[in-house]
Amino acid sequence: MSGIIKKLSSMLQRGEVSASELAASYITRIEKLNPVLNAYVSTTFEEALKCAGEADKMIRAGMATALTGIPMALKDNICSDGHLTTCCSGILSGFRPYYDSAVWEKLSAQGAVLLGKTNMDEFAMGSASETSCYGAPKNPVDVTRVTGGSSGGSAAAVKAGIAAYALGSDTGGSIRQPASFCGTVGFKPTYGTVSRYGLIAYASSLDQIGPLALSVEDAAIVYDAIRGKDGRDQTSLTTPDGATSLETDIKNLRVGVPEEFFGEGVSDEVKSAIEESVRVFERAGAKIKRVKIPAFKVALPVYYIISCAEASSNLGRYDGIRYGYRAENFSDIDDMITKTRTYGFGTEVKRRIMLGTYVLSSGYFDAYYKKACLLRGQIISEFDGVFRECDVLLTPTAPTTAFSLGAKSANSTQTYLADICTVPASIAGLPAVSLPCAVGAGGLPIGLQIISGRLRDGTALAAAAFFEREAGVTAELCAEVKL
Amino acid sequence: MNYELVSGFETHVELATATKIFCGCSTKFGASPNTHCCPVCTGQPGALPVLNKKVVEFAIRAGLATHCKINTTTHLDRKNYCYPDLPKAYQISQFDKPLCEHGYVELESGKKIRLTRIHIEEDAGKLVHERGYTFIDYNRGGVPLIEIVSEPDISSPEEAREYVEKLQLIMRYIGVSDCKMQEGSMRCDVNISLRPEGSKELGTRTEIKNMNSVSFIEKAMAYEAGRQAEILSSGGKIEQATLRFDENTGETYVMRTKEDAQDYRYFPEPDLLTVKIPQQKVEEIASALPELPLEKFRRYTDVLGISVQNARLLYRYKAVCDFFDRCVLLGAGAKNTSNLILGTIYSTLSTEEEKEAFDIRVSAEDMAELVRYVDGGKINITLAQMTLSKMLKVGGKVSDYISEADLAGISEGELEELCREAVAANPKAAEDYKSGKLKAIGGLFGYIKRATQGKADIKKAEEIIIRLLGNDK
Amino acid sequence: MAESQREQKISKEQFRALARLSRLSFSEEEEEQFIAGFEEMITFCDGINSEIEGDASSIREVDAREIALGDLRADEVVPSLPNEKILSNVHGERGYFAVKRVVK
Repeated sequence: MSGIIKKLSSMLQRGEVSASELAASYITRIEKLNPVLNAYVSTTFEEALKCAGEADKMIRAGMATALTGIPMALKDNICSDGHLTTCCSGILSGFRPYYDSAVWEKLSAQGAVLLGKTNMDEFAMGSASETSCYGAPKNPVDVTRVTGGSSGGSAAAVKAGIAAYALGSDTGGSIRQPASFCGTVGFKPTYGTVSRYGLIAYASSLDQIGPLALSVEDAAIVYDAIRGKDGRDQTSLTTPDGATSLETDIKNLRVGVPEEFFGEGVSDEVKSAIEESVRVFERAGAKIKRVKIPAFKVALPVYYIISCAEASSNLGRYDGIRYGYRAENFSDIDDMITKTRTYGFGTEVKRRIMLGTYVLSSGYFDAYYKKACLLRGQIISEFDGVFRECDVLLTPTAPTTAFSLGAKSANSTQTYLADICTVPASIAGLPAVSLPCAVGAGGLPIGLQIISGRLRDGTALAAAAFFEREAGVTAELCAEVKL
Repeated sequence: MNYELVSGFETHVELATATKIFCGCSTKFGASPNTHCCPVCTGQPGALPVLNKKVVEFAIRAGLATHCKINTTTHLDRKNYCYPDLPKAYQISQFDKPLCEHGYVELESGKKIRLTRIHIEEDAGKLVHERGYTFIDYNRGGVPLIEIVSEPDISSPEEAREYVEKLQLIMRYIGVSDCKMQEGSMRCDVNISLRPEGSKELGTRTEIKNMNSVSFIEKAMAYEAGRQAEILSSGGKIEQATLRFDENTGETYVMRTKEDAQDYRYFPEPDLLTVKIPQQKVEEIASALPELPLEKFRRYTDVLGISVQNARLLYRYKAVCDFFDRCVLLGAGAKNTSNLILGTIYSTLSTEEEKEAFDIRVSAEDMAELVRYVDGGKINITLAQMTLSKMLKVGGKVSDYISEADLAGISEGELEELCREAVAANPKAAEDYKSGKLKAIGGLFGYIKRATQGKADIKKAEEIIIRLLGNDK
Repeated sequence: MAESQREQKISKEQFRALARLSRLSFSEEEEEQFIAGFEEMITFCDGINSEIEGDASSIREVDAREIALGDLRADEVVPSLPNEKILSNVHGERGYFAVKRVVK
């Protein structure tokens, strides 16, 4: 059996190890590996040991769940009361929220043990975690490679065994793409099924929290714990029951393969790995259909227009008045705000703020923002059409395996292409899971993306669980990180 | 050339909800700085807005009371601009789909000031500049507002005053706002332009921001119209600009011109969903609307026969109307009730605020009882006034002041006896009367009034005295 | 590509106006560099104008998710947070957020 949560949980239940001992062993491993991996940007060891003590009490009292006492990590854009949460941006340096995010509130109530906050692209804007103000995290599989992004620290921490699981956020692929690069499972649920309260916004209509884990089952357990309607997030949704049973009738599963996802830019090894994955489903009796999503070709620009527009507005609040960094020498409050933002934000964030301002400004609104919203509707209806004849879609998660650190950051629209396969499901708000399906050149993992219809999160997870069992490729822990 | 004034108003009204528009913080005025605050209304990272149902209901009520069409599908938008009192750097407002559209406010003359729209939005915080510091208080941040936008239908400062007062009255009548201009719960932006009399085209306009008193609005409009007329008469052009009115000098000053106009980059608020309002709910709110100010005014004058002047003095205070209407409902005559309110009660309420609050020690029930005695001729108006004055001062019931005996009145025999006493006690007055100085009889009435503490029927007494003096002749 | 051939998508004035709206400032030097990258992004976004095969008439607004009036938040006061919490990430003055105006 793959995964680690149930294994650790039963050890805790049986008393083979206490939550406090488990936390201590993770802390030791973090201290050893993190200086190289840079997966964590801040640690909360004191809090972890306190949480572990509470977890031990819950276990003794017979009130434990599968997540009680399990050490984990939050992406640096997910708020927890009193802990540094900086979005890996200079502008939020020193920021400690005085409130819990909805997801951390739920997990801590179950006795989760928080080890720290993980590295990410600044404000989740990037595909390699290289825009982090703390420097890029490194891929545990090959430390000369990027982790992917933006939830790169979360993926690296899970892969390296310095967190049993981690939460990430996905706006255009930020959970799935690093999961693919690092060889973990990453799940972006249907937009709205997990409350965004306490998730520092990048693009509100796209942002969604989800788990990174070592198995589909682990991801499902975590998803189960964090989903649900929340009165503090009006866009949150009630999810159907039984979403995470992971059972599927493979013979009646209709599997679609959208041809546009295999176009230019997708490497041959990735193409053939995904085709091989399709055959795994085919051999088990699933019905395979070749389908089309013509609007795929506008998905990336649509994504960048909408996400930058929302970001330019969401990031307006960083003015140095209420929290975070404040510039020191200024003539008046206006000057202070401009200087704070100019020094506080990194280049990629500034580019996206400027682009967002541009596409919303009068004279350009109709040609960019409004048109992108219309095309978003088009993409949604094309998916709707496809999901009338398919239960799941199989696609690559990323066009390539993890690239070398520093290889692409010079040319930024080039790196945007790394999101080409993940962005469509984000635009449509659909659930999508990425899991390892093959090992490519240099031993680098290749990810398979399984997308299902809106609120059919269980279908995508069950199909992924089937593949995981059947294909024998699992998201194993990278026990020996070559430093 | 003669010019015609053309003016439209944008009026912000704070809604009297218990909580803010997007969070559960209290809206109470006057708390210590930043104590009615939370992550949502201070724009903390990760906080999300949650729309208050009552804000929508109140805005619908305001829309229906001003004859607007209600959009049953509505959404909110972000208006992006950076200012330290706006913690998110955007104001959540409504752009292309306001909750209410196409209404009007009717003036007493019957003229209708058309309303373009009414939308909901959040208020900003407050800045204080002091000792080289800018201090910021977000207590007011997120307090719900409606913005009422009128068409340029107002053509004089006097009409502007009536329009603002009517709006104020309507909002108070329907209970959605106290509209206290001095506390900022009602504020007006005034657009003004001039055009040659008879012309249909609109001239270039200026906008005077943030007016918080009706008399300043009148003054500012008069000043600005004069300024524009001067420019136009001398062949100049009006520059489109945003102005500020200086209350001390009575003049307007340019804050910013068209060149530095803002680009608000409106777009639909992604953190909130489209609100769907059942038609049935709109009808429910409509049917629960109280009688509106102008309806009330017309009922007072046309049905109850109260003079226009008196009706005006009554209907401008909601609490007074409530009291008056209740008295009438309890069988008190409208004229005697209004006279007692405007005379006796108003004389104890010196300020507008006191009349507004109408916090008096007399219940409508007692008032109605008292007026019914006057209506039925059991006591005269003087006694009613005296009794009411005492009740206003020390409280108590009508029966504490007026006994069965008072109500029984004074018998014919008793009155005749009193009249004889009066004549005997005032021989001079009696003689004068007899010698043709008819006014001298007044001195005799004074005696009777004093002796009966005002409750004697003076008309009857007059008849008796004339008879007595005549007989003596 | 020669400088003259490059399509000028955005003028310096326009760029500066956007920077003002965004509350960002750029030095002359940064400006040059930034504008080039920015134009590349705009070109990238112009990709929304590429033709999509199939029925173009199916282009439509995103179905906005709706909430019924009755499901909105009830108007009930929730205690606010203490002033110390509200000001916990900043140096406050007498309960206010405060910015000192430094005269250079």
